Amino acid sequence: MAKKRGTGKAIAHHGELLQGVFEDAGGQLLRGLVSLPCPALTSIATFAPNERDEVTVSPTFCEKARRAASQSLVTFARVRTGGHLRLVTNIPIGRGMGSSTADVLASIHAVLDYLGIVTTTESIMRIAVDAETACDSTLFKQQAVLFAQRDGIVLEAFRKPIPSLNIVSVDMAPASTVSTLEFQPAQYEPGEVEIFRPLRSLLRRAIDTGDVLSLGRVATASAWINERFLPKPRLRELQAIAMRYGASGLQVAHSGTIAGLLFDPVDARTPENMDLAIRAIDALGLSQRTFLT
Amino acid sequence: MFDRVRLRNLEEFEDPRMVPLGGHLFGACFFLMKLLPARFMLERAVERGQLGPGGIICESSSGTFALALAMLSVQNDYRLLIVGDWALDRNLRRRLFQLGVELDIVETAHPTGGFQLARLERLQDHLRNKPGSYWPAQYSNHDNPTAYSKIAARFIDVVGPVDCLVGSVGSGGSMCGTARYLRLLFPELKVVGIDTHNSVLFGQPNALRHVSGLGGGIIPANVDHTQFDEIHWLSAAEIISAAHDLHKKHGLFMGPTSGAAFRVARWWSDNHPGKRVVAIFPDEGHRYADTVFDVAWVAANIPNWTRTRSEEPITVPSPGVKMTDWARYPWGRRGLSEVLGDGLPPG
Repeated sequence: MAKKRGTGKAIAHHGELLQGVFEDAGGQLLRGLVSLPCPALTSIATFAPNERDEVTVSPTFCEKARRAASQSLVTFARVRTGGHLRLVTNIPIGRGMGSSTADVLASIHAVLDYLGIVTTTESIMRIAVDAETACDSTLFKQQAVLFAQRDGIVLEAFRKPIPSLNIVSVDMAPASTVSTLEFQPAQYEPGEVEIFRPLRSLLRRAIDTGDVLSLGRVATASAWINERFLPKPRLRELQAIAMRYGASGLQVAHSGTIAGLLFDPVDARTPENMDLAIRAIDALGLSQRTFLT
Repeated sequence: MFDRVRLRNLEEFEDPRMVPLGGHLFGACFFLMKLLPARFMLERAVERGQLGPGGIICESSSGTFALALAMLSVQNDYRLLIVGDWALDRNLRRRLFQLGVELDIVETAHPTGGFQLARLERLQDHLRNKPGSYWPAQYSNHDNPTAYSKIAARFIDVVGPVDCLVGSVGSGGSMCGTARYLRLLFPELKVVGIDTHNSVLFGQPNALRHVSGLGGGIIPANVDHTQFDEIHWLSAAEIISAAHDLHKKHGLFMGPTSGAAFRVARWWSDNHPGKRVVAIFPDEGHRYADTVFDVAWVAANIPNWTRTRSEEPITVPSPGVKMTDWARYPWGRRGLSEVLGDGLPPG
């Protein structure tokens, strides 16, 4: 028996630890990424059925979430169902923090909750990629994954989740926004994709051993590779702050405007270092906030 | 997103076996290292339309690169022409012949550029006479160093963060490629290159050399001098005795360039306890059973074989000095002209 209404929740991410092109099991190359989850920011969707045979949404600009809810109903509901989808989110838009994907995933979950259906991560992903063109890997909570964001498939599942991190988050270009759909994906040269092999190896090792310093090195390398495709103003200055105050690394949203300094929560000097880094960022005239994951 | 050409039947032979050698030193033992860059260069050449089905490959080599190309050519139905010289020993000649390779042996050296340049000039004649043939050009082809991303990844898989990379330098592909990829992640990585006396690669005056596989009479474009923190020069006798030591102490039967890498890496590792060091051992010893591993042959052909050898290098004031023993120079990631210009900036 279906419920009166369904709710769903999805989290944001703070960009990616790594984004590039990777070999699948058959040796072919696919675009892939490892999102850095940011559970402090969420999108919550509520789906309430009504007599109409289509889905409406508020706010009205959440068209992709509406499409995802509608597609979920087509896929899983036994009878044609319409209703109203309502989204409440505190994820900033156009920063590369996955606001749109979170809306889409929350909406799919809301419909599934309403229908009382439990399904696989893969089938949720497929609907999300259809609605969104690309997706992130925040849905995978038990273990981190290297995710082919445009194909909706897992290229590699790591043994553990991403270790806890303290992030000092900086918006490098508050005046501009990046749309996932309009953003032209990075065009790598055939030789350039080789660069991602050692990064993938170190990331795997860093996640499996909980090594925050190595994780930071991968994120830093990936951030600089991305400068050729979506440069962030003042990234060099931020890197200097990261080095001066013992951050494990620099990390960016590869199709957004935010960057982060990653600190190891286990390190006893981290609170003081973060404090100093925050002051230095303030002195640059950039605004920052802190996330603990 | 890219449809990749894959010539991977021999891929299982590409990865090195990683052997701990005590302390934090690892030996990366390759069956035949050149299989990796050769395969990678051919794949990219096919993708670019430079090499068609049944096409002709022409290359100048007197060693393992020729063998790697020959194996891949048999696997993938290419025809191969190799321009070689005296260094192409009897056993290798026999193997290449059996693999269907057309061999052209250069008998006389170029007056200034030695056999290497004489070979390259002869190769140009062949390329002109065989229109549409493909020249991998391992000395200048960027795909050569690029292929080594896979090796950098393998080192990380086994060793984790690498502090120091040690290996001999020939084309520059393995050392400069691997170093470049590791430095993206470990900027403080130390890179220690090994050359031989009388090789021009790092500034020695060109003269007769008694060992092949490292050094040379011309500087390949793929040698990126700015990658190296330290350069060591070993004599042929030191290189060969080191290959014997690697066999005797660790049971690893590897070629002379592996011996060179072992000698220097052991010293570097012992002097930097706690640092994780990887030494590249490019090929196995079987090819050298009648030469490098035959003491009678060595005594008859290698100068100063019976002389006592030093346990550690002498740090030299400049790469151009006359060398008789193990020498070391703090290169400091500089360009060649920067170093040879006595500290003056290049140009």
